[in-house]
Amino acid sequence: MKSTARSYRNLILFSAPAFVVYAGFLVIPLIASVVLSFMDSDSGPTSVFVGFDNYVYLFTNPSTSERFWNALVNNFEFFAVHLIVELPVGLLMAALLTSSTLRRSRGVYRTLLFIPATLSVVIVGFVWRLIINPLWGIVQFPLLGDANTALPTIALMSVWEYVGIPMIFLYTALIAIPDDVLEAAKLDGANAWTTFWRVKFPLIAPQFGLIAILTYIWTFNGFDIVYALNGSAPGPDYSTDILGTLFYRTFFGSSGQVANPDLGATVASVVFFLILIITAIYFAVVQRRLKSYEL
Amino acid sequence: MRSKFAPIAITAAAASLVLVGLAGCSSGGTPSSTDGGGDDVTLTLATWRTEDTAMWEDEIIPAFEASHPGITVEYAPVGTDDYNAAMQSQIEGGTGADLIMCRPFDVNRAWIEDGYFEPLAGTDAVKSFDETALAAWTDVDGNPFCVPIASVLAGFYYNTAIFDELGLKVPTTQAEFIDVLGTIKDSGKYTPLALGSADGWQLAYNVLYSMGPNYWKGEDGRLGLIDGTQKLTDPDFVAAFQAFADLKPYLPDGYESLTYEDMMQLFTLGKAAIIPDGSWDISAATATGLDVDVFGAPVAEAGDQRYQQEMPDQGIGMNAKSTHKEAAQEFLDWLATPEFQSLYVNKLPGFFSMGTEAVTYDNELAQKFADLKTDAKLTPRLALDRLSAGTPPLDDEIWVALQNMYNSGLSAEDATAELQAGLDSWYKPAQ
Repeated sequence: MKSTARSYRNLILFSAPAFVVYAGFLVIPLIASVVLSFMDSDSGPTSVFVGFDNYVYLFTNPSTSERFWNALVNNFEFFAVHLIVELPVGLLMAALLTSSTLRRSRGVYRTLLFIPATLSVVIVGFVWRLIINPLWGIVQFPLLGDANTALPTIALMSVWEYVGIPMIFLYTALIAIPDDVLEAAKLDGANAWTTFWRVKFPLIAPQFGLIAILTYIWTFNGFDIVYALNGSAPGPDYSTDILGTLFYRTFFGSSGQVANPDLGATVASVVFFLILIITAIYFAVVQRRLKSYEL
Repeated sequence: MRSKFAPIAITAAAASLVLVGLAGCSSGGTPSSTDGGGDDVTLTLATWRTEDTAMWEDEIIPAFEASHPGITVEYAPVGTDDYNAAMQSQIEGGTGADLIMCRPFDVNRAWIEDGYFEPLAGTDAVKSFDETALAAWTDVDGNPFCVPIASVLAGFYYNTAIFDELGLKVPTTQAEFIDVLGTIKDSGKYTPLALGSADGWQLAYNVLYSMGPNYWKGEDGRLGLIDGTQKLTDPDFVAAFQAFADLKPYLPDGYESLTYEDMMQLFTLGKAAIIPDGSWDISAATATGLDVDVFGAPVAEAGDQRYQQEMPDQGIGMNAKSTHKEAAQEFLDWLATPEFQSLYVNKLPGFFSMGTEAVTYDNELAQKFADLKTDAKLTPRLALDRLSAGTPPLDDEIWVALQNMYNSGLSAEDATAELQAGLDSWYKPAQ
């Protein structure tokens, strides 16, 4: 009995600092933000509770909802580019890094490929903006100035920068596969292609799923690269506006737009629930079905 | 095996909280102290011009103190992004500075309504300014609350070497302007206009709001929109948007993704003949040693009245809760003297005095900019007064509409119709 009580006390004692930091810097601001989204602090001298009015306004007011839906669609496009390009390329790089032909220069390539992820997003945006500048760059076409190409271009810059993350993530999963499994496959006559898709990939499928959902979270919290390149009202014609920049513009205001903290908090809450729900569905439905093998 | 991923799921959820967490933060200001012991009075002056601290402390304040013994002034700047929030919390908390730099138009009008400022009507401080100069810092009835300190101007910088080489004359009408642009384009050696549409704000501030007043007749059109007697769909406004659209053939290739910085590079490298820009870029335009001159926005027809954009930028007012009102008033009166005005604008090339008495500028290009004001009627930027204090804000909408006119061929008629519809959705003119 005594030892159980003590171990509980120790448990509370040791987890308290982390809990206090987590609660103070994440949980409380989150709750405050969600509470703010149900308030109206502009119309009167004090904040009043207005229920779902801010949400209704965000989804139905013609000018506000147009921006919101536009940002949401753009954000899915932003995520889709990452999903379609970043993950397969990351997987390919990880597979190449673990292939036997690279055995000696593996460290060099691993470092080179990961370096962009360590750069500041402002530098990445600036360098790429110069590279594709129609005046002194390598392409004549105004990639960032055309409403059809601007968002994919920015998304690809982001992919270029962060492709090292899924690469390292999948690479560590791949090198954790014991050699005897691979030797067995070889003895059974499997070639490299078959070995990868029939043996290696199923073993790292849980990690692949995880990096996919993390990419979803990162892109829906995305803000920095768009803001660094195009500011808080990202053009042309809001074609590169994503939820993060919409939130920033609404909450803090922009040159001509008056800051509206309540509506900004509403946007932030919508982003939070979007991420929460999709992530929860993913873990409830997909991740538990991906088999993990004990090796 | 599910439990293996539970911690990661929590991490993932935590990562998603960061953005929302941001919304929970609120900014506060640190109160500045106001000390008033003894016979000597110390005034504090709050501004957003942190970059000018040395200039104020070493040049301007000593000049004031020399002629006003017994008053010392303390310069207390707050970064421009935090300035509004800091002032609001300080003044409402009763710890605000005695003298406060005033933002133009809507922000200041809200501050006046909240009783932050001591009225200045009838004092010496505002006597040497005309109504247009004071307009950015008045209440709804037109009473002044801040002394105008500095404005910025917009114009067309041009490379005189290119003009000489091609035998061009400075255009004064829109037709001449298009001719000049056509000649430069036909020469094939230079880009006529260093202008890109990646940054929407400069299309509005440096092009439309600079050329447009010649069509909507400056204050007539601007105030007409505010009191509801004019619409953006009126022929004058459509003509202004059309004049803007007529420049499109003279933009460089790939203009859709050229930023404001790219434009200036194109110009300073001597590859473009003309750049529409604000007076704040005087130093940047001449940085590479080019011989640069400036002309005002051309009028529609020869003989028309010329209008010049003059955007009020800084004013200074007195905190209504100040305990040293007499001393503060002396300081404000001094701000209105030619002594201060000429000292200030010569230390900050690109900023201009708004007083009725002419000031001489040591910087040659600044003097040329100032000369643009002499035969012109002045008007601030179109949409910053009242018309952008709602959703959608007219100013931001104009940026996007102008981008679309260049990038996707939106017509002047459609652009103005859209903008007026957006404005009508929330703006109700005062009676």
